[in-house]
Parts: sequence; C-alpha cells; structure tokens
Amino acid sequence: MNAPRGKYEQSKGHGTGYVGTGGHGAGNACTGKRLGWLRPAALVKLIGILSFAYLFFGFMVLPCLNTLTSIFTTKNASGQIDPWAVIRFFFAGNMKRYVWNSLKLALFLIVTVNVVGVSAVLLTEYFDIRGARILRLGYMTTLIYSGVALVTGYLFLYDRNGILTTALVNAFPGMNPNWFSGFNAVLFTMTFACTSNHMLFLRNAIRGIDYNTVEAARNMGAKPFTVLRRVVFPTLLPTMFSLTVMTFITGLCAMSAPTLLGYDSINPEIVRLAGSSAADEAFPQARAALLSIILAVFTILLLTVLSSYERKGHYLSVSKTKARLQKQKITNPIANALAHLYAYVLFVIYMTPVVMIVVFSFQTYGAIRMKRLDPGSWTLINFFGTEDYEYLTSRGSYRLRKGSISGLFSNEATLGGIRMSFFLSAIAAFLACLIVVIACNYIFRNRKNLKGLVMEYCMLFPWLLPTILICYSYRTYFNSESIWYVGFNNLYYGERVRLLIILAYTVVKLPFSLRMIKAAFYAIDEELEDAARNLGSSGLRTFLQVKLPIILPSVLAVFALNFNALFTEYDMSATFASSYGTSYAMVIQSMCDEEGLYGYNVNASGRRCASTVFIMLVSGLILYLVYGVGGRDLGERLALKEKRRKRLERIKARLGRGL
Amino acid sequence: MIRLNNITVKFDDFTALHNISVHVKEGEFFTFLGPSGCGKTTTLRTLTGFIEPVSGSVVAAGRDITHVPIEERNIGIVFQSYALFPTMTVYDNIAFGLRVKRMKKAQVDEKVREIARKVDLSEEQLKKAVSQLSGGQQQRVAIARALVTNPSIICMDEPLSNLDAKLRVQLRNELKKMQEDFGITTIYVTHDQEEALTLSDRIAVFNKGRIEQIGTPNEVYNHSATEFVCNFIGDINHLSEPVVHALKENGASVNPTLHNYIRLERIHVNTTPGQNDLELPGRVAKMEYYGLYIKYYIDLGCQTMKVIERNDGVNIYAAGQNVRIVINPGDIMAYPPGTEEVPS
Repeated sequence: MNAPRGKYEQSKGHGTGYVGTGGHGAGNACTGKRLGWLRPAALVKLIGILSFAYLFFGFMVLPCLNTLTSIFTTKNASGQIDPWAVIRFFFAGNMKRYVWNSLKLALFLIVTVNVVGVSAVLLTEYFDIRGARILRLGYMTTLIYSGVALVTGYLFLYDRNGILTTALVNAFPGMNPNWFSGFNAVLFTMTFACTSNHMLFLRNAIRGIDYNTVEAARNMGAKPFTVLRRVVFPTLLPTMFSLTVMTFITGLCAMSAPTLLGYDSINPEIVRLAGSSAADEAFPQARAALLSIILAVFTILLLTVLSSYERKGHYLSVSKTKARLQKQKITNPIANALAHLYAYVLFVIYMTPVVMIVVFSFQTYGAIRMKRLDPGSWTLINFFGTEDYEYLTSRGSYRLRKGSISGLFSNEATLGGIRMSFFLSAIAAFLACLIVVIACNYIFRNRKNLKGLVMEYCMLFPWLLPTILICYSYRTYFNSESIWYVGFNNLYYGERVRLLIILAYTVVKLPFSLRMIKAAFYAIDEELEDAARNLGSSGLRTFLQVKLPIILPSVLAVFALNFNALFTEYDMSATFASSYGTSYAMVIQSMCDEEGLYGYNVNASGRRCASTVFIMLVSGLILYLVYGVGGRDLGERLALKEKRRKRLERIKARLGRGL
Repeated sequence: MIRLNNITVKFDDFTALHNISVHVKEGEFFTFLGPSGCGKTTTLRTLTGFIEPVSGSVVAAGRDITHVPIEERNIGIVFQSYALFPTMTVYDNIAFGLRVKRMKKAQVDEKVREIARKVDLSEEQLKKAVSQLSGGQQQRVAIARALVTNPSIICMDEPLSNLDAKLRVQLRNELKKMQEDFGITTIYVTHDQEEALTLSDRIAVFNKGRIEQIGTPNEVYNHSATEFVCNFIGDINHLSEPVVHALKENGASVNPTLHNYIRLERIHVNTTPGQNDLELPGRVAKMEYYGLYIKYYIDLGCQTMKVIERNDGVNIYAAGQNVRIVINPGDIMAYPPGTEEVPS
C-alpha cells in the first residue's frame, strides 16, 4: 500500500487521493481510472508494451522456435514425417566431426587465449617491463583489426606463399610450407584475435587491485611470484572465469577463421547447409537446425554456469583508501630477460601483420602478389586507383575487366560493400542502443518488481542462442509469404533482406548493449532523480536532461563497439548469403577467391590490404572519438575549452605585437 | 509551520515509523537525530513526498499535503550526496528548477545570480562544472539550488556526512549562518550528535521508528527523557550497583532499582566537595590527553568511572595515582529498566 513512491505518474493514475478527486465520490474512481488509460503517458506505455511484445515474439521467439521444431517435422525417404531421422543421420554420418572439431577448437582456445591474454596483461600492467606502453598498443591492435580483416592479414603472412612462411622455409628447408592451414592456422589466428577482451576487462580488473594488499603480502615475507599467485590471481579469477566462458563460446561459434583457413567446424557447416537443397543432400535444413541447437545447448549451459558463478559474489576491495598498483620489478635477471624476450616476441606477432598490411597497401599489386617489398614503387593505387585492367582478346581487340585493378574507393564492389556495411551497421547499432536505453530506463524504474526482471531476461534472450541460429532462423522463417505480422511479405526476397539483416544485427547486439548500458544506469546516483523530481521535473524531462546526459558516454561507447563489430562482421551476412546484402567483410572474403580466379592481373590483394587499413582507420577513429573525446566529463571539456581560449588569446597577443 | 500527525510508514511487513508526531515552528532549525535505520530519513522522505504514509497526515502552513505531489510541496531538499547534476554547469544546476517552472530567461538569470551572491558563489564558479568545485563549494551549490525556487521549508539529509572532519566543522558553522540569514524553516537529518547539538534549535531523537524525545539541545543532553537518549547523546557513566549502594550509604537519594547514569563532566577529581557533594576514593587507571581537556579512567574497585576535567595545566594526575572523585547526586539521571536496547 505504501511504498516509496517510485513514480509519481503511477500514484496519479491509480491513486484516488489528488487527481480529480476533489469533491468526487467513490463512483468517480472508475472514471478516473478510465481517464487514466487515455492519458498520453498511459497510451505511450501501452504502445511501448505492444511494440515490445511484437518485436520479442515476432523477431526473437517465433523464428527460433520454427527452427527448433523443424527437426521434428523432417520427412524421411518415404515421405513420412520422421522426428528421429536427423538424429539417426547425426550418429551415422560425419556430423559428429563438426561438433568434435568445434569443441576441440574451443577447448584449445581456452588454454592458448588465456596464456597469451593473461601474460599480455601482466606484462603491460603488473610487471615492470621496458616499453610497456608501446607493447600495450601492439597488444591492443586487435581492437581495431579483427574478423575477416585479421584472418586475411594472417593469411597474407603465413599461408603457403606468405612472406613469413617463405622466409621461414628458406631458413629451415625442412619446414612444412603448408603449416598454416586447418586447425593449426585457426588456433593460431584466433588465439591472438580473441585477446581483445583480456586487454579490456582483465586490464581493468588488475588496475582495480589495491596495492596495499600487495605491499602487505610482501611485508609478511611473500616473494613476488607468491604475491602474484596468492594475492593478485584470486582477485582476477572472476574476470578470468567470465573471459574463459566467453572464449569457449567464441571458439565453438567460430566462423570467419574456419571458413577462410579451411577447418570443418559447426558454423561454416550450418551456412553451407543453409544454402543447400534437399535435391543435393539429405534434409540439409533440418541438419543445419540440429547443429544450431547443439550450439545453443552448449551456449545455454555455459551461460548458466557463468551466471551461477557470478551470483556467488566476487572479491570486493574493502579498502577505503585504495592505493594505485605499482609495477613489480622482476628481480631475477634471467627471469627478467626472459619476460622481456617473451613480451617482445608477442609484440612482433601482434604487430607484424598490421605493419605488413599497412606497408603493402602502398605497394603495387605486382609487389603484393609476389609478396616482395619493392622500396622503389610506392603507390596509392590500392586506395584511389581508377584504372581497370585492359587485356588483349583472341580477336586482337582490347577489353576492359571492370573492377579488376581499381582501388578501394573506385572499385564498385568494394565501395558497395563499404556502403552496405556502413548503413546496416550504423542503423542496427543505433537501434540496439535506442531499444536498450528505453528498456534500461524501464528496468531501472521497475528494478524492485517482476516487470523489470521479465524485461531484462527478454532482452538477454538472444544471448542464449548462437548468432548463426538466429540468422539461420530468420533466413528460413521469413523466406515465405505466409507470415501475417510482416504483412505477408517475404523478407528474404530482394532488397528486403537488408531489413532482415538490420533486424538480426540489432537483436544480436541487444544483450551486450544491455549489460553495458544497464551498468551505466545503475551507476546513476538515485538522489539525482529525486532531486529533479523535487525541483518539479517530469519523468520524461528527468530522463532527457538528467539521466541521458550521464549515460550518454556509455551509450556512445556501446554504439561505437557495436558499429565496429558489425562493420566488419562476416558470420551473419554470410549466413544470409544474399547478393542484396553483401557486406564489406563478404567483399574482402571474396577478394581471396578473386586472386585465385584471375591471377596476378587483378588487384584484389591490393584492395584487400587497403581495405584492412581502411577498417583500422575507421575503427580507430571511432574508438578515439568515443573514448577519447566522448569520454571527457563536463569539467574536462570546460577546462579544455578554457585552455584553448587562453592559447588563442596568447597567439592573438603575439600576432598583435608582431604587427 | 509543519506538522506530522500520527505518521505510520510500512515497507511490506516492516513498520518503519510508528505513529510519529512532530511540530516544527516557522524559522526553526529542527534536527532529526538517531542511529542508522531509526527512521529519520524515512520521516524526511515522508515529509518531502517520496514516501506515502499508511496513516497520518502531513500539514504545512495549515495545508494538508499528505497526498500532494513532490513537486507541488514547495519543499527544498539538500541531499546527502548533494545530487548535483554532473552534466550541467553550476549555473544550469541552480537554474534547473526555475526552468522547469518555465520562468523567463532574464528572470532565471536574475534569480540565479542573486542566490549565488547570497551563498557566496562567484561569477567564475557559476560557469564551472560541479566536478571542478571543492566539497564546500558543492554544498553551497546544492543549497542555492534548493533555495532558488523560494521553498517554504528546506530539508537537509546528512549534507555533511561525505566531508572530512575539519571541513565538516567549518561548513557546519556556514550552514547555521546561512539558515539564520535566510530565516527559512530547516529540517536537518543527522546521526552526528555533536552536529545536532551545535546547529539545532530543537532536536527529535529517533529510535527504531519512534521519537524518544523532542527538545532543545540542553533538554536532550541534560534532561534526557529516556535511557536511550541519555546513552545516545554524549558519553556517560552507567553507575554499577555497588557504586549506587556506596552513594546511598553516604546519604545520596539514589534508587538502586533504577538505571542510574552520570555524565563525565559532572564528576570531578580531587576538588573540594560542595554542600551536597559526595566523595569516592579511586585510582587513576588511565589518562587520555586531549589538549583542551583530559579524560581520566578512575578505578573505584567495583567500576571504572570516566571523568573529563578541563586542562588547567596544574592539576594533572598520572596513571596509578590515588585520587578522590566528587559527585553531586543531583546530577544523576535515573531511568526505569526498559526493554529497549541502549546504544553502546
């Protein structure tokens, strides 16, 4: 009956105390209620609930349910429905291999990613290693360089004709030049690609350690490595556990690396089956669905484990006067030398593809194809070249191969991919942020009741399902003209597929956005809302003028991270596999094929290098704008403005004196 | 000015306030004092409209505001964290309430600058972000923001609790001066008894959702109405049974069936006893030197008695020294043994 008045609007709507009750009898309470529902705020609420239900059931639950049930409606060779046909096929055929390969990759990645990721963080944040700042920058390159771009970069160096492989084979003639293929290549590439999360989250965790605890342990006689093992590591364990689970899921759901490096795992097989027909092989759709479900089961299991672990509670610093962590010197000279050596070897592994790609993006396509640096022929053709390759036909005439040599910004296919990815990613990243901000505000206002909890779980729903399952479900479910709630339109047909891709991108990004933006909402001092209300501000005004500006840096950061991830995204667009929705990553991937098809005359390699550089620039710029510029609070912005004003005045004064 | 009549507040099954009644006079500095979880903030939030009571009424200036929305109550609040909007400048923070009221720009500007002058905020500071101000300046902004809309009452919820000890004392004095200058009715919430005693015209001492006593600082300190109040306010000696018997044998009119207390500064060491004073022999077990005064722990054999003496630089007693303590039985406060747990 009486509880903290969470929302004034609620009291107004349902209370009988002060809204239009003066002098009215009990009979008017009903009128008051009816009128309450006609209020604009209530109507907005009703529309919000209906829209949410439409999106949740229409674009999350029903398509996925359709996939899950499709297994049990499979028809066998005699045309009868046989729910066990796919399961039998699974055990009899080679489908097991895909599952096992994915599991093997995930398990190996847990070890390799943690070894590399944890050591990279310790070397740059915990131990006193010379040049740690430069090392950190190198280790963080995967933040702006990931997915297909990274895999093709590694291929450029390490494949059979790659620069490094050639150099190594020359140095060690007995070495297998095909070492970079299949499982080894995927493991190697993904090990370094998956450490971005360590560099972000484990780094924050290690920076949160109270240095006094380290000093206390040293004071009690603990040696540096004992301190690391007994004091530092236990505080990092929760973060490491979360990262391990996420790494396992990433390994299990790997797509671009296995596809490009030739490794039979679940996701590439799902995509292949999705594009196959019953005429080619036995029930491909149901098999794809089964593999998706296997992925979903693993994902749900792991997220359940993670969630129950998180609920147990974590280490919390009880220090009231936390001291900043100071770098630990490695006193043993041999250990110190080995640590430095290891740090710089890692740096070289991280940086070599980046440096090589950047350098070769300014070389002629001949040098790139031959993978031989020619210091005398620097060019911008890979970026701005407009000429196409002209060749002599058997009839003696010259013909132009359109889009064959031209650079990144002239090649129609590449530009088309960039445009497509840019718009689809920007719209989806914006939509995901918008939906999550509205949802978070609702969750925050209903945090003490069931409504808030239900909303939160609905938003986290896509996390339970692998990305590929969602995209595959969209592709099969909306590839029909019988879905009433989309106006009986086939959304997989023609340009409509772009809408489907945007929806898939948005849905897939909801859980991550929710986790990040919700944290920002919960960091808002509750008294701010009370203060605004006390000063007469309405709920909407408080949200727009008080809460939104506070969470805006986090929202922008989430937008940037979502955009960066989607801009170079390959897995989902490959699952949709539509020529109307060819993403930038698909174009990059196709460049690898082009190289093989058209030989050295086609500048696909040059464009690929230029594309990777372009991606790095875009990602780097966005991260800088969001974290560097957008991360400044009002105080910092005003101080900077003042500093600039003073500098300008000084320059004006100097100029005045000069004149 | 403000009346809380028989207010009861419940959170599910838990009763946070039991039939509270308070009357705050116009222009008064009134403090809600009590330990954590005693209901003082709940009372304040009921008054300001954030919590609706199960029963009872809130009356301000003769008008029942129990069900009046928060923003229509005309009560200014200074929050514990100050709740200054971090994305706005000092000027915008102060102007927020005026803009919500759709006041004209020139009028807003005039009012903001006027209140800023009154709370001693400079033109330069108005342009700054709140994060660029010190704790004391932030407090002034919070007060200016609460006062700029001309509220009839201002409520402050532990506004000094986030500051260091030195700044707290400094701002306490400024706060009192400001309240006197503005002449506004102020309701202040704190768990700090020293703060309450130095600032308030009257104090309501809360315990477990009930008011134990309402009175002036002198009344609650020297004439504590309940055993809880006498224990919560200031330091005190609980006289043990043997001491009470010893005093009784010496002719003091003390009742051994009651709980008897005496404040530290009411006991004296080695002074000449007055007409009604009684003496008890003891030994200094420990002394604590505070500069302005000295605290002695006198071992009476059956109880260690805490005593505070002004530091005159002459009469200072070392640990182990035999002394006499002098007590006036009239200073003893006695309470019937209650069921309420007394604060330690």
